Amino acid sequence: MKHLLAVTALATGILASLPGLAQDKTVVSFLHKFPEPENMAYFDAAVAEFEAANPSIDIVMEAVADEPYKDKIRVLMASDQVPDIYFSWSGEFGRKFAREGRTLDLTEALKGPEWQGRFAAASLEPFQFEGKQFGIPVNVDSKYMIYNKAIFEKHGLAVPTTFAEFIALNDALLAAGEVPIAYGNQAPWAATHYIGDLFAKMVPDDVRQADYQLLAPADQLYTHPGYVEALALYKSFGDKGYFNNGANAISHQQARGAFIAGRSAMVYLELVEFYMLADTPVAEQGWGFFPMPPMEGAAGRNDLLTGAPDGFLISSKTEHPDEALAFLNFITSPEQAAKYVSTTGMTSAVIGSVTEATTTPETLAGLKALEDAAGMALWLDTDMDTASANVILAAGQGLLSGDETPEAVMEKVRAAAKETLAQR
Amino acid sequence: MTDRSDHNRATWRQSLQGWLWVAPALLFLVIFVYGPALTNIRFSMFSFSAMSLDWDFVGFDNYLRLWNDPKFMTALTNNAIYAVISVSCQVGIALVLAAVLEARIFPDFSANLFRTALFLPSILPVVVVGLVWQLLLTPTTGLIDQILWETGLASWSKAWLGEPDTAIFAVIFVSQWQWTGYIMALFMVAIRAVPRDLYEAMEIDGASGIQQFWHITVPGVRETILIVTIITILGSLKVFDIVWVMTAGGPNHSSEVLGTMMYRAAFRDDMIGYSSTIATVIFFIALTIGLVQIKLQKDR
Repeated sequence: MKHLLAVTALATGILASLPGLAQDKTVVSFLHKFPEPENMAYFDAAVAEFEAANPSIDIVMEAVADEPYKDKIRVLMASDQVPDIYFSWSGEFGRKFAREGRTLDLTEALKGPEWQGRFAAASLEPFQFEGKQFGIPVNVDSKYMIYNKAIFEKHGLAVPTTFAEFIALNDALLAAGEVPIAYGNQAPWAATHYIGDLFAKMVPDDVRQADYQLLAPADQLYTHPGYVEALALYKSFGDKGYFNNGANAISHQQARGAFIAGRSAMVYLELVEFYMLADTPVAEQGWGFFPMPPMEGAAGRNDLLTGAPDGFLISSKTEHPDEALAFLNFITSPEQAAKYVSTTGMTSAVIGSVTEATTTPETLAGLKALEDAAGMALWLDTDMDTASANVILAAGQGLLSGDETPEAVMEKVRAAAKETLAQR
Repeated sequence: MTDRSDHNRATWRQSLQGWLWVAPALLFLVIFVYGPALTNIRFSMFSFSAMSLDWDFVGFDNYLRLWNDPKFMTALTNNAIYAVISVSCQVGIALVLAAVLEARIFPDFSANLFRTALFLPSILPVVVVGLVWQLLLTPTTGLIDQILWETGLASWSKAWLGEPDTAIFAVIFVSQWQWTGYIMALFMVAIRAVPRDLYEAMEIDGASGIQQFWHITVPGVRETILIVTIITILGSLKVFDIVWVMTAGGPNHSSEVLGTMMYRAAFRDDMIGYSSTIATVIFFIALTIGLVQIKLQKDR
């Protein structure tokens, strides 16, 4: 009995002292959307290294996949349980947090000497709202058409330099019995990458920006004819058979797999997917890439690349802003950024981190093309207001299946945008 | 007079004891079921997003908006189709399968094999079932498409989950594949409770298997049929997971059901008030079905 009492007293003492121990550390919560093994390998190591250097800080990290992240962050916002540091896409997705005062203003903090020259202005700009910096870019990404060199050589085809040549290329591949483009649009964000690029090319930049950010008068929102023409062009890709059969029933990953297996001549991929092509059948056949070619005489900009930086934000309600900023400073330091690139295959936003030593020649060339571009046309579904973007997301499927027309889609976009504008 | 008062006191005491026994469960229900349901009705009168803490009172505007939303009619129709097909398969076909397996037509080994094979899908997680069937139904490279091509039925080949005309039916088919065996098992238990004497008596009178089914089995499992029908209809009304995994309501909202519409409104479109409105509508439809069930059971 005495033994039992002694053990109970000891256990009670240990348990009672635990909160005391926990209180010694500053807990910083960190939520991101990179749960893939190669990404977690980097983040786990980075957190361990940071905690070792800062024993008083405990980084509590959680990672969820891309799609669930969109749900989870909204639930956390609604329940007012915002993590100290959280991931955000750039554009309207991030601006929404800034607009509602959910982000810490980092403008002054980033003027510190350690931050100088770390990021390109093009990476920082998409994380600014009303002149204030609300986020820190972690990686940059852009979209390219990847092609199978063996298939191109077999049919004597060349990389197109204009949009008209690109159309002719697709026709030639189709005539040769090839599937021109592997396309998986089951999760309809894939469609927004095509449509976003076409909008950027076919709608004047100032008009497009005013529409996306709902700065135009309500009766002029999304009235430029370039929008309808762009949707009609996208629809024609499906109607002519440039895309594989049943694109709406196939995931992007399956489409990528079909290209890798040599079942299509091209696929529209992100720069951060380049590393996935290494040691695959298509790597043996040889592959190259080109940006969606410029469109002659179009009203918009041909010098933009579809893509965007991703980044991290700090909650405006964090109790530990200094510690949270210190962690972001650590993971975006040149040394850590180099590790990030070599471990994950991603393209860090930190200048000088993507080198021959840390990545593949193709990724390096892709990043060079991004740096050469005049700017980025951000991912459409994260750049437009949510309601308008949702119309485009569904339309990306509806136009292919034939139960939507470009005119009807833009009518719905106008209605959605007007309603959102009225609520602001 | 005194006797009656004593009787009342005893009843009251007994009643109090009864209330005390059910109090924990009642408290649980109030906190976790009725409370949130009432709160949800209140939410449905407001317009607010997950990001913003500002709430605008809009009265019944959300209900009006829902009524005018073409996606609502699509979702309601899909739920209704889901319910009709589910009742036909999971009640009709499952009952026939149960009756056949219980009629000792097959040898024990074969009957056990069929029963296990039919029951097995119901123990698999819905997400796994959805993803596997998604692969099977993939255009061109999926097993279903391959079989159609190999058997000379290439003209039947379709992007089952990618075309608005077929997406919801493909999802419903998978749901039937998963749950018919489970309901069949419930019917088998119910059929075993029917006295064997009745079957033997009809056999002596020269009744066929079909006659035995209609005149003994069906009336004998009447209660189970009613309960299973109600459960199936309610399940069809609340369905979310299999639709979300296989099509996410697409393409172009063609396979949207009330559950996915509610989820999308809350977690994709940032319209929590509107989402609460959809949830309230689902609640009242389910409540109506529940009341009908209670009425039907009382009538028996």
